[in-house]
Amino acid sequence: MLKQIMQIDRRIIFILVALAVIIPTLLKVSFPITISEPTRKLYDYIEDLPSGSTVLIAFDYGPSSMAELQPMGTAFLRHCFQKKIRVIGMTLVTEGATLGYETMQEAAKTTGAIDGVDYVYLGFRPGTIQVMLGMGTTINNIFESDYKEKPLAEIPMMEGIKNYDQIDLILDLASSSTTEAWITYINTRYNQKIAAGVTGVIISQMYPYLQTEQLIGLMSGLLGAAEYETLIETPAKATKRMSVQSFVHLLVFGLVILGNVAFFIQKRENENV
Amino acid sequence: MRRQVPLALCFVFGVVMVLIEFSPHPYSKFLYNEVINWSLIITPFALVLGVATLVQTHWIRIRRRAEYWQYSFVVFIGMIVMVTIGIPFGPSHKAFAWLFKYIQTPMDATMFSLLAFFIASASYRAFRARTLEATLLLVAALIVMIGNAPIGDLIWNKIMPFGENLPSTARQWILENPNLSSRRGVILGVSLGVISQSIRIILGIERSYLGGGD
Amino acid sequence: MKPKSACLLGLILFFTCKIITLAQLSEFSSEEFRATDEITAGKPPAPPTNIKATDKKNDDGTHITISWTKSADDGNGANNVTSYNILRKSPESNFETITKTLIKTGKTDYTDDTVKRDKTYSYLVQAVTASGTTSNSEVTGAEATASWFHTGKKWLFLSVVLFSVVVIYSIYHARSGKNIFIRRIPGLEAVDEAIGRATEMGRSILYILGLGSVSNVATIASMNILSQVARRTADYETALRVPCNDPIVMNVVREMVKTAYLEGGHPDAYQEQDIFFLTESQFAYAAGVDGIMLREKPAAVFLQGTFFAESLILAETGNSVGAIQIAGTDKEHQLPFFIAACDYTLIGEELYAASAYLSREPMLLGSLKGQDYGKLMIFAAIVVGVILELIGVNWVTTFFDKVSN
Repeated sequence: MLKQIMQIDRRIIFILVALAVIIPTLLKVSFPITISEPTRKLYDYIEDLPSGSTVLIAFDYGPSSMAELQPMGTAFLRHCFQKKIRVIGMTLVTEGATLGYETMQEAAKTTGAIDGVDYVYLGFRPGTIQVMLGMGTTINNIFESDYKEKPLAEIPMMEGIKNYDQIDLILDLASSSTTEAWITYINTRYNQKIAAGVTGVIISQMYPYLQTEQLIGLMSGLLGAAEYETLIETPAKATKRMSVQSFVHLLVFGLVILGNVAFFIQKRENENV
Repeated sequence: MRRQVPLALCFVFGVVMVLIEFSPHPYSKFLYNEVINWSLIITPFALVLGVATLVQTHWIRIRRRAEYWQYSFVVFIGMIVMVTIGIPFGPSHKAFAWLFKYIQTPMDATMFSLLAFFIASASYRAFRARTLEATLLLVAALIVMIGNAPIGDLIWNKIMPFGENLPSTARQWILENPNLSSRRGVILGVSLGVISQSIRIILGIERSYLGGGD
Repeated sequence: MKPKSACLLGLILFFTCKIITLAQLSEFSSEEFRATDEITAGKPPAPPTNIKATDKKNDDGTHITISWTKSADDGNGANNVTSYNILRKSPESNFETITKTLIKTGKTDYTDDTVKRDKTYSYLVQAVTASGTTSNSEVTGAEATASWFHTGKKWLFLSVVLFSVVVIYSIYHARSGKNIFIRRIPGLEAVDEAIGRATEMGRSILYILGLGSVSNVATIASMNILSQVARRTADYETALRVPCNDPIVMNVVREMVKTAYLEGGHPDAYQEQDIFFLTESQFAYAAGVDGIMLREKPAAVFLQGTFFAESLILAETGNSVGAIQIAGTDKEHQLPFFIAACDYTLIGEELYAASAYLSREPMLLGSLKGQDYGKLMIFAAIVVGVILELIGVNWVTTFFDKVSN
């Protein structure tokens, strides 16, 4: 019996995980959300920005991680638009181009923000680091037109925005190492303020940069998105998905405890023999 | 000669790019911008190379009737459809967006969601308190896991009369202290490793990336 | 109404309108938009003093900083100064306003970022009152020059030079043939075991280079390990499969493996089609590699290079087919996944040390020694800094603060 528990077929675990995802989705349970310090810092930074400031948001992720990162983008954009902060959107990832465009459109629709006046979406250019560095000289040099191929010179919002000097914050929504590249190349070289929203898998990697204030704020995975939604008092997708995350975490917690209890009983039995 | 030219280029550009970092002069800025522009021009060529290699690989598979050669047709169909719509109409066109949203997105999301299943099975198999170090890792992992979901705080606050929101506070403490310090140690080691490796590459001592041999 | 009276009324109306318009103009223009020395209504305030124009250091010659001591009437005296205005004279023009909006009181410096390199400019600062009255400071001048070296980065430069010298010295010192001790790295010791196992079982070896491009140092390190692995598989004539995520990496790898087989004396065993491009897309790549693992059931899987969220998907599938797995990455956040699912894991810098470890080439080993000296220096700085900080001496932290700024 103990041996069976210890070497449980991985397919049984897979079924349990599937159930832990499906049941809470159907039940629509909700939980109170505690705000973490890194998310609050990002929120406070935007709160303190005067209206008319400019932030840049990089949608550096593909469809695989959109479940975690898209809600962050939507909540952050809503906050900016409500505060009349101008937003430039872009991506360094090929698949991010469509996702970024959709997110900006959706947030603009709900807040009444106008394309070209309150926000501009630049889309994608290949060459991650070269694009970041090139934008430090002139944005126009890298993106001569926006996503819909309208020249930047004809967009009213871009008047007076030449490079990072006119940008108050860069928020990188990332599922890979782009945040580190923004920090290494743009924070170090141009002293640009950077914040990030990252997938749960890479949260722990970001903490050294938070302590050194190379990152001024951080949204950590889906929980970070739910926290931001709570802060702007607009519960949306992330808040709803917290129930699924809660039950799956609880399941894994229980499985690890079960495995260890079986491991200890067997160890003791072996010692007695 | 075949090796000397790339090695010399690598040395010159390596040293120049390091020096540029310390010079704000317009001449060095100009040189820097030029190098960035060159790289930007070179990058799309990799894309062409990628497409050419992909076509070549799958064409050979079909021609030789390699195992599962039929799947190579799927590659060609996918490529032709995306290119035929993407190039003339652009990525913001409805048809392209539809293909992206309803085909590529679910496929990518499916692969990513496998992680949830694999994390559960891998942690069940590997997280055993065999040694002191493994026990520490296990305890830290459990605290972070439960602190990362709102249900952790909810249960704790319901059953414990003290330490409001302790799971999420403990999670934050672990991330900001033991995690941060150990990670910084690894980052320092990795960074020195990168510099040392870069010096070896710039000086041409490490040259196997050029295809091996001398 | 008589024409004469109508004319008179018209004139009166015209002048009344004109006077109202002028009054409105002066009211609006004074504060926000116009700040010229033409406006002289009211008593002029005390002028700003001690005006200095200095070329900004460590820049590309496009900035001049102007500083001044505030007017005696700014917060004191008549207390009627509400803002300041900067006027500049260039070699080609007379004095003209360069501030787009007036500078608020309390601020006593301004950086002009519209100058051209190697030109001399003259500046004066105006104190402006609420009614628009101004008074000018004395004139001062400066030449905008570009710096060749950023003095603020001198400590960083010295550190780079020092560390590089130590590494280069260690590399060349190693050429003398002295035996260099290198600690045992179990993951690399297992390379031969993994290849031997694959040979015995008659199955292939799968080498995964991760998602990095050819400019990524971890990918280069991984290619160096692959070169060593290929030399051994050439000897044993074991099949080596390398699915690539980047077409440039694929071409380099083909060349490397071909050379390794040639040098090993087995050029016929080299199969070009075994090194192939799969896709650049992260999860499509993971799906493709998983497919290969499930179909071919390789006896050994190497996961070396840059990995992200796909790491566990690959490692767990490798584990499920019973392959011996040796992983290594500099992405420390993926290490827990590899440790959980693989047999051996190279942690962080061990990946970079691998090439030296496997080839035992003295010059490469020497660089590892240099790296350790660097680590020792950082370690010493941390220990000394902590001790001094604990006893209340904070010059080390102050020094590092200065360096980072």
